[in-house]
Amino acid sequence: MADELDLLRNANPVPTDGPHYGDGPLDGRAEQHLARLMRGGTPRRGRGRMWALAAAVVVALVSALMLSGRTTAPAVAAPRPLVVRADTTPVTLDTLAARAQARADGSPALRKGTHVQSWSLGMSDDEPPVTLPEERLVRWHADDSHTEVVVATDPRHPGRPVLTGEGEVVDDGHVLSRRTYPPSWSDAPPQSPPPRDPGRLRAYLSEAAYSRTDLSTGELLDAVAVLLDTWTLGDRESAALARLLADAGDLRPAGEVTDRLGRRGLAYVHDRNGTREMLIMDPATGAVLGLETTFTRAQPEYGVKAGDVMAYRAWMR
Amino acid sequence: MSDDETFAAAYREHYWAVSRYVARRLDGRTDDVEEVVADVFTVAWRRRADLPAAPLPWLYGVAHNCLANAVRGQGRRRRLVRRLGNDDAAHGRHIEAGPDTDAPGAWVHDALARLSPADQEVLRLTAWEELGVDEVAVVLGCGRRAAAMRLHRARRRLRAEIDRMRPTIPAKEYGRG
Repeated sequence: MADELDLLRNANPVPTDGPHYGDGPLDGRAEQHLARLMRGGTPRRGRGRMWALAAAVVVALVSALMLSGRTTAPAVAAPRPLVVRADTTPVTLDTLAARAQARADGSPALRKGTHVQSWSLGMSDDEPPVTLPEERLVRWHADDSHTEVVVATDPRHPGRPVLTGEGEVVDDGHVLSRRTYPPSWSDAPPQSPPPRDPGRLRAYLSEAAYSRTDLSTGELLDAVAVLLDTWTLGDRESAALARLLADAGDLRPAGEVTDRLGRRGLAYVHDRNGTREMLIMDPATGAVLGLETTFTRAQPEYGVKAGDVMAYRAWMR
Repeated sequence: MSDDETFAAAYREHYWAVSRYVARRLDGRTDDVEEVVADVFTVAWRRRADLPAAPLPWLYGVAHNCLANAVRGQGRRRRLVRRLGNDDAAHGRHIEAGPDTDAPGAWVHDALARLSPADQEVLRLTAWEELGVDEVAVVLGCGRRAAAMRLHRARRRLRAEIDRMRPTIPAKEYGRG
């Protein structure tokens, strides 16, 4: 008869050689988390908890700064949402994807690394929650090492002091961190190169999002952000991405916007429960320029109004 | 190696083992697992100067505490998730239960669930994390002799629960092992 420990061993719900959490290289999210820890940042927490609680503290922080009578206000307040000019003739994503496909000639080319301007409501349970306007540049080198530079900057207020992730006010352009990481290599999305075929790109994004089922459009947009935080797409990959997004079917054209970096873009929106994602794409090339998330419902107890910005990202080359 | 490098090496080596530890105790809700594991390594990062030469049992100890916090926070999170309507379970993105509920292991889990949390943990650490008594002692923050005693008693209690359930269990299942 098997002893009680043997019986228990055989009832292990997550065995080492099972289909989940098996030993091997870190996946993309685990790598990102490690990188964030190593540069001294606080990793993002669960989405719902983080955003809702962060919003309340951002409001408190803004109030405190207003009451303190600071004359040179740091660029801390939540950004206003982008204004969509709805009077322009809508361009469907299908049209834009076809345009991108027709133009794609291999230039510019895919490049590993990213250049992104971002802001988000940030939150940890035990550190001051603050806004994080920053510009991040990641460049990979021939030996598979990479360098990441993070600079405090807010494109809406050039030259104004910026609040950092540590809750300090620093000058615009202040280098928050500059780190070089030793050579590393992974063949799993999002570290592996993204394919140029829309179907394979969809599978790639599913893997990057850890999903074994088809991604919803909201999840797809999350995965696109993960991709663009790792790679600067070439025109062929951008065309495949535009086609994939067009085929998703529920991103609707909203009109034209000028993004926070002054670039003209076409806006496509998708409503999730309680939030709206707005994807901004280059009208000529179909490249994804940015993503903005706003609240669509007020959450009074968290100090969030409908229309408030939750986060934005603007990707550059 | 600096503390930072030691931490990075431990992270890479043990990330998945810690993930399994957490998943075994959270009924496999994928997003919760990832969040708790992130908490574990965030705490470990802050305490990296304390990281022992064999870090895995120590990391399990951190995970044990993080899980307790996560369970306490679940009520608040559930309310929030319901409000935002973003529960991943609604998108079907949690680990499939599979046939497990009807699997031979299910009744062993039932027997385990009848024990005290402390008994359950020492048994899981031994059977699922495959730790020796010295390592169990590190996780539980007690001495080796105390850990051995706890395991001995917990095994005896599990055996008693299994024996109590035996009349209802088909003989071929019971003997599986």
